[in-house]
Amino acid sequence: MTSYRLDKGGLVNRTMPLSFTFDGRPMQGFEGDTLASALLANGRMLVGRSFKYHRPRGILTAGSAEPNALVTIGRGGRTEPNTRATVQELYEGLEARSQNRWPSLDFDLGTLNGLLSPFLGAGFYYKTFMWPAAFWEKFYEPLIRKAAGLGKASYEADPDAYEKSWAHCDLLVIGAGPAGLAAALTAGRAGARVMLVDEGALPGGSLLFDSATIDGRAATDFVRDTSAELQSMPNVRLMTRTTVFGWYDGNVFGAVERVQKHVRDPQSHLPVERLWRIVARQALLATGAEERPLVFGGNDRPGVMMASAMRTYLNRYGVAPGKAAAIFTSDDSGYGLARDLEAAGVDVVAIVDSRPSAGMDYRGKARLIREAVVCGTKGHRAISAIEVRRDGRVETIAVDALAMAGGFSPIIHLACHRGARPLWSTEEAAFLAPEGLRGLEVAGAAAATAGLAACLAAGAAKAKAILDDLGISCSPAVFAAVDGDEGTPPARPLWSIPGIKDKAFVDFQNDVHLKDLGLAVREGYGHVELAKRYTTSGMATDQGKLSNMNAIGLIAKARGVSPAEVGTTTFRPFYTPVSFGALTGAHAGRHFQPVRKSPLHDWARKHGAIFVESGLWFRSAWFAREGEQSWRESVDREVVNVRQNVGLCDVSTLGKIEIFGRDAAEFLNRVYCNGFLSLPVGKARYGIMLREDGFIYDDGTTSRLGDEHFFMTTTTAYAAGVMNHLEFCAQALWPELDVRLASVTDQWAQMAIAGPKARLVLSKIVDDDISRAAFAYLGAKEVSLCGGRLHGRLFRISFSGELAYELAVPAGYAESIADILMDAGAEHGLQPYGSEALGVLRIEKGHVTHNEINGTVVPSDLGFGRMVSASKPDFIGKAMLAREGLTAADRPRLVGVRPIDPATSFTTGSHILAKDAEATLDNDQGYVTSSAFSPHVGSTIGLALVKHGPERHGEKIVVWNGLKDEYTPAILCDPSFVDPGNEKLHV
Amino acid sequence: MSEFAIVHRSALAPAPRVASHRIAIIALPEGHVVQVFERAPGADLLAVLADAAGTAPHAVRTAGPGQWFIVGDEPLPRDTFLDLANALGPHAATVDQSHGRVRIRVEGTVVERMLAKGTAIDLDIGAFPVGHSAATLLGHVSVHLTRLDATAFEIMVLRGFASSLWEGLERMSAEFG
Repeated sequence: MTSYRLDKGGLVNRTMPLSFTFDGRPMQGFEGDTLASALLANGRMLVGRSFKYHRPRGILTAGSAEPNALVTIGRGGRTEPNTRATVQELYEGLEARSQNRWPSLDFDLGTLNGLLSPFLGAGFYYKTFMWPAAFWEKFYEPLIRKAAGLGKASYEADPDAYEKSWAHCDLLVIGAGPAGLAAALTAGRAGARVMLVDEGALPGGSLLFDSATIDGRAATDFVRDTSAELQSMPNVRLMTRTTVFGWYDGNVFGAVERVQKHVRDPQSHLPVERLWRIVARQALLATGAEERPLVFGGNDRPGVMMASAMRTYLNRYGVAPGKAAAIFTSDDSGYGLARDLEAAGVDVVAIVDSRPSAGMDYRGKARLIREAVVCGTKGHRAISAIEVRRDGRVETIAVDALAMAGGFSPIIHLACHRGARPLWSTEEAAFLAPEGLRGLEVAGAAAATAGLAACLAAGAAKAKAILDDLGISCSPAVFAAVDGDEGTPPARPLWSIPGIKDKAFVDFQNDVHLKDLGLAVREGYGHVELAKRYTTSGMATDQGKLSNMNAIGLIAKARGVSPAEVGTTTFRPFYTPVSFGALTGAHAGRHFQPVRKSPLHDWARKHGAIFVESGLWFRSAWFAREGEQSWRESVDREVVNVRQNVGLCDVSTLGKIEIFGRDAAEFLNRVYCNGFLSLPVGKARYGIMLREDGFIYDDGTTSRLGDEHFFMTTTTAYAAGVMNHLEFCAQALWPELDVRLASVTDQWAQMAIAGPKARLVLSKIVDDDISRAAFAYLGAKEVSLCGGRLHGRLFRISFSGELAYELAVPAGYAESIADILMDAGAEHGLQPYGSEALGVLRIEKGHVTHNEINGTVVPSDLGFGRMVSASKPDFIGKAMLAREGLTAADRPRLVGVRPIDPATSFTTGSHILAKDAEATLDNDQGYVTSSAFSPHVGSTIGLALVKHGPERHGEKIVVWNGLKDEYTPAILCDPSFVDPGNEKLHV
Repeated sequence: MSEFAIVHRSALAPAPRVASHRIAIIALPEGHVVQVFERAPGADLLAVLADAAGTAPHAVRTAGPGQWFIVGDEPLPRDTFLDLANALGPHAATVDQSHGRVRIRVEGTVVERMLAKGTAIDLDIGAFPVGHSAATLLGHVSVHLTRLDATAFEIMVLRGFASSLWEGLERMSAEFG
């Protein structure tokens, strides 16, 4: 016989049937079912194949620790492999497929592995696939990976939305069972900000299957009333379908809420999962306890189930495990199950109790076999009989279901996520969370408290103690009398069972059996962490929730020590698997990072700009015109137009920082390696900032707008970094200086107007005199625009090497002023140019950017050696700049490079070889840092850092691209390809 | 001289507003934002700032030790700004950020839940009372957040990030629509 649905009972909604499929076969369940309860109700006991031996597996638990019943649900981008059927809520149309079987679940060729099992013991592949060594990566590992494994992920994109959220509370209660409900009620009534979080679809925990009554009413009624009261409190947030998966520093807890994992068609305005970061002043762990399996032969056969799971299916879902059940118990909890099974009409054939006497009076019909064990099971795809061993004799009893009750292990994972180690209690026969954890307390079955009344009282008392500590006065919630409270005393651990012949599984999901652990200890891997890795016990997706305790017990026994001495492996987040979707949240696809737009973004788009991502910024790269066939064509035109007429480029993305204060000049003098004390008001100066280690950090111009007011520009890439650096200098290095810093990058739109006709264009909108005499090279001042209608800032600085200005205007007026400039410049041929042309123009001029300032260069490498002040008492980088390596004569230094044949080319990153030198690392003399096609020169040109570069102008060399094996004969030259005498700057 | 008029262009134009019965996101007029840095402690700067800010509620906002923003819906004429800067001169440095910062108002019964999707700050009115300000991340974007009343906050963001933040706010509020 198989499992089946009872005519009545359970919390399922029998008026709401739901259709679903398993391996394509149509089935029916009810609202309130999990996939597992619905499968059992349909008599489906075989639901999966094991990882290694492909043994038939059934449903072992009714919760999140399930190792066997892993299925794939959904299709397409919503495919979700390794879904635990025991926690997946049933919905109309759910499609579930079994895993790790071929050609079918009922007939799986992989079972042949079982015949090979003598060769597949622990560590078999370490021993078997030793040689030839080269085979490991190419052959053995791919083969093993293919053979192993569970479900397969989809390659399709996930169509659903995810998000993250923060929450704050006085008390976070984890687990809404008896202790959690009592604690939340106590704290909620006191007015504290409470979060009560439970992984189940309903609050209640063990109350949902407990047959005890409270005040004469069913436990489920108590749950309903208590939940209703909690939900009526504005200061309490009750969250179900939410798993707290980790405890982190700052008393922050990670949790994942399954918002729409229980619905057929997720609504697009809601996430399917939401990741919570919960900041709790205090937390209470009320996570209950996990029942331990018993390790006997064939303990994995479908139909063998944890006793508490069998009781859950019976009482909560109205599903009977079979017609003739047996119970193998090492504590009193088996008797409560027997009573409930009999009440539901299931024949309990035998109760096999490992103890000489029970602590509980049993008056049912089942045959009671004391001081006995189940040592084996029989059956093909489901259990048909058990082998009971007593006094050395083995008796076979026909059954169709077997419950195993091996005692309980408190669920204390979260308590140990921040480094605390669990402590073994001989009295409780379990590992307990240590005392004195800051920010977290443990209550109820998670603290080994037994019995419903005791758990209710413990939850209330703990909540009161926590609130007292928080300074919130309260009195513990008081509950009516509990009738039928079982209060099972702790089981004496039954690690090993005599007479085992078949495989006795310790870790079901990774197919680790009894003998594997013995082997590990014999082979020297008896340390718990080594045994874990050697046998893979506890390493699967369930992380050994069921297996670890038995594994520790067996290792302890094999080593002849106490479990206390063996200890546990390390508990780490995540408690249960968390999807990448939830961890990513809303920041997927194009929302991966925010977009930063220049105030001239729309203006540029209007003029045909093609944008390029530059950090978070979108910069206009070039402005394509009709008829232009390639980006190069557009860029060449823009470059030539700047050299011949005039161009307008958006340089708003440069970092801009206002510096105020009595000591602003002194501050800059210390930040830059060159002098700034003497910079007159109304002038700009190029400055180089070094790091403490002497290498160049960033460059830019800084203008003096007043005695105590400067305006700094940084490169686009380092804007935020420079601001942080300056704040550090001002706040930490020199707090005695009177200096204040304000980032104004977004306040000002800045436009470069460059080209021989730049002054002609600008004078049409600038009211002030900007003649050569009145506003010379490196002038900087506030100007009046368009007849005094607006004020901006004008800087006579040039990156292109042409007569050039940068005009800054308040960002909101940027587009308007750019329009006015384009209109005013039309007669002079003004065209917009983008960052590509900007790059070509500066390479032609020999100006450096972060291509050259790459963290390995000092000022003298770039020809700025004389800029470095010798007279300043100190500046950042001064001391380290004097290191001998930084002053060595053969340091790579800046030089120009161009191909001998203008028809040939080379790329950035290529290396420089002396003519006729062999292409070896020893012969490497430097590398090309920037390159571009120069319309001015008529060929590719480059800037390079080359040993003795400035002394080698005119020398023929070879540019070597080792990636493409290209060799380009070239010549080293002055890096200033345009106007080396700087005459244009001063016109 | 150009024929063109000098037109102000808003970062979030044209007139964006997302609203449901539970949440509204409203782009505020790009009036004025003045950043003030205290230079020498001692003077009663806050009184001067309050005076400069006029009668608008919560117009002066803390922005760090010795730093404030003065905000308002009306544009600040250049002369007015210069007068303010002069008046504060001995005590504080003054920077016009009216074009560099964009202000967005979010309001509604679920406003705290919505903002909790982006910020780690506890926005419970007990912890973050009316008039309180803080610099924080909202998603991946740095903002300056101020509580205006029990159910309304103002978010101030760098102009360049305004449209990206707006999209983020729309996504964060989608479930309340």
